[in-house]
Amino acid sequence: MSATTIGIIGIVALFTLIFSRMPVGFLMALIGLVGFGCIVSFDAALNLLAKDFFSIFGSYNLTVIPLFVLMGQLAFHSGISARLFDAAYKWIGHLPGGLAIATIGACAGFAAICGSTNATAATMAAATLPEMKRYNYKPELATGVVAAGGSLGILIPPSVIFIVYGILTEQSIGELFMAGLLPGVVLTTLFVVSILIWTTLRPELGPRGPSSSLREKLASLSGIAETLVIFILVMGGLFGGIFTPTEAGAVGACATLAVALIRRNLSWQDFVAALFETTRISCMILVIVAGATVFGHFLAVSRIPYDIAGWISGVNLAPGLIMCLIILVYFIGGCFIDSLALIMLTIPIFYPVVLQFGYDPIWFGVIIVLVTQIGVITPPVGVNVYVVSGVARDVPLGLIFKGVIPMLIAMLITTLLLVPFPQIALFLPGLLR
Amino acid sequence: MVSFLRIERLISRTAERVNWVAAGAVAFIMLLTTLDVVLRAFFNHPIPGTYEIVSLTSAMVIAFSLPYTTVKRGHIAVEFLVQRLPRRARVAVNIVNALLGLTLFALLAWQSTLYAVGLRRSGEVSATLQMPTYPFVCGVALGCCLLCVVLLAEAFSQLKGAEPE
Repeated sequence: MSATTIGIIGIVALFTLIFSRMPVGFLMALIGLVGFGCIVSFDAALNLLAKDFFSIFGSYNLTVIPLFVLMGQLAFHSGISARLFDAAYKWIGHLPGGLAIATIGACAGFAAICGSTNATAATMAAATLPEMKRYNYKPELATGVVAAGGSLGILIPPSVIFIVYGILTEQSIGELFMAGLLPGVVLTTLFVVSILIWTTLRPELGPRGPSSSLREKLASLSGIAETLVIFILVMGGLFGGIFTPTEAGAVGACATLAVALIRRNLSWQDFVAALFETTRISCMILVIVAGATVFGHFLAVSRIPYDIAGWISGVNLAPGLIMCLIILVYFIGGCFIDSLALIMLTIPIFYPVVLQFGYDPIWFGVIIVLVTQIGVITPPVGVNVYVVSGVARDVPLGLIFKGVIPMLIAMLITTLLLVPFPQIALFLPGLLR
Repeated sequence: MVSFLRIERLISRTAERVNWVAAGAVAFIMLLTTLDVVLRAFFNHPIPGTYEIVSLTSAMVIAFSLPYTTVKRGHIAVEFLVQRLPRRARVAVNIVNALLGLTLFALLAWQSTLYAVGLRRSGEVSATLQMPTYPFVCGVALGCCLLCVVLLAEAFSQLKGAEPE
């Protein structure tokens, strides 16, 4: 059997067996091990397994993941999310749909210190759903907004997916972070527009909240100030070249811890819970990265990525059409497979193709983040919808999926805007170059 | 049956205890890195060897959180198809998955041990602090061994008819 045939069998096996509920990282490592063994030798494959796992687990660059996860966890356990929402709602809660808009604003704010979509959705659901319920917001609006708002967590820096994508493709994490910022702002704006249109058409969905006095409004700003200070410290230091992404994560986590301690908002139990959650999430991510590394080495010796790139340049298809096909794969795949796992599975195959057609790798990173985030809130595997339904146990899943639709339109428009106007993503990183 | 339950509880408690090492390691990395940045930025006096200490410690974060993450079913997996299977089929799938995972991490533990022995024999040390690296590879092997125990217990509990989720 030729190396290419073994490679194709490996890819088919991966995309079939992934539905067996085997942890994705375990599966990729196993198939990579067997495939590499068949092509080279089993001694070499076993050797590779140990070295790949140790080099990934002990990679300085990947330490950035636990650190940014810890920063988000500390922010969650110390009530920063609630203070952000409180500030947003004092300023705009009296508008129709104002609490929903405040939720999006708070999601965007929280995204600036948290790099995970699920964590953002979970945190904001806990902080905002009870409030929206209190002011008689209909559950479809309330839950749909929170589930979709989570996607800002991954678009606005820091972002775990950008980190993993950057390491996998050897692109600058700083540039990827910068690239996510403007699309994040565009998406936030479009989310707000969606809510405005929806609540104008059906005012009973989101009745006006109480208005606040100017004094209350100004007092609430201190809740934003701390987040802003942490964000500027972390991103300023990173973009200014003062520290590496790993150091940015460490400084950010320490700063968030300091804020929590000064405000006396973090008990010892909270701190331990934050650390335990951090180890669990980091372990989950790094096991997938390690598995993908083993699988990637198998693909490399099978020469499949080169074959595909060669084959694609052989057939006469417009680059735009191929890009549309790739985006379609992410869109469909994202409905079934976790976004991080999907990116890990597909990057070794698609990335060479994207480069070959001269697309900007940073732009492509933003596009796949957006497209896979659409998958996070669409059935059947809408992880964020499950996360929100875990908090709002009285709201049926179907209703949350219904509430997500107007938000989905906003995400689709943002994605479609980025295709003719890549500058939206590339303008800020261009300033760095 | 009762004794098996006790063993299961012992395993999950051990996994949690071992995770304290991982949690401590994360906190240590955060503090050391921040201290290094502050000392470098304000006193022009970085801590030598921060890079390698952080790298090697981060290997311990992941290795020692493997058992706990697995006990907590924290790994990303595609669930929706298996959830729709009849109960007996689900149990069978879960047992096969646990045994395949067990095979993978048993191989990994074995190979990591060989790797560590090789590193020790060649006297491999870190670049700045001249710290031997093989103990950290042993740490990964140990984490994998504990994970194997967790996966074995998982296969047994499925066999004994624990309700598959």
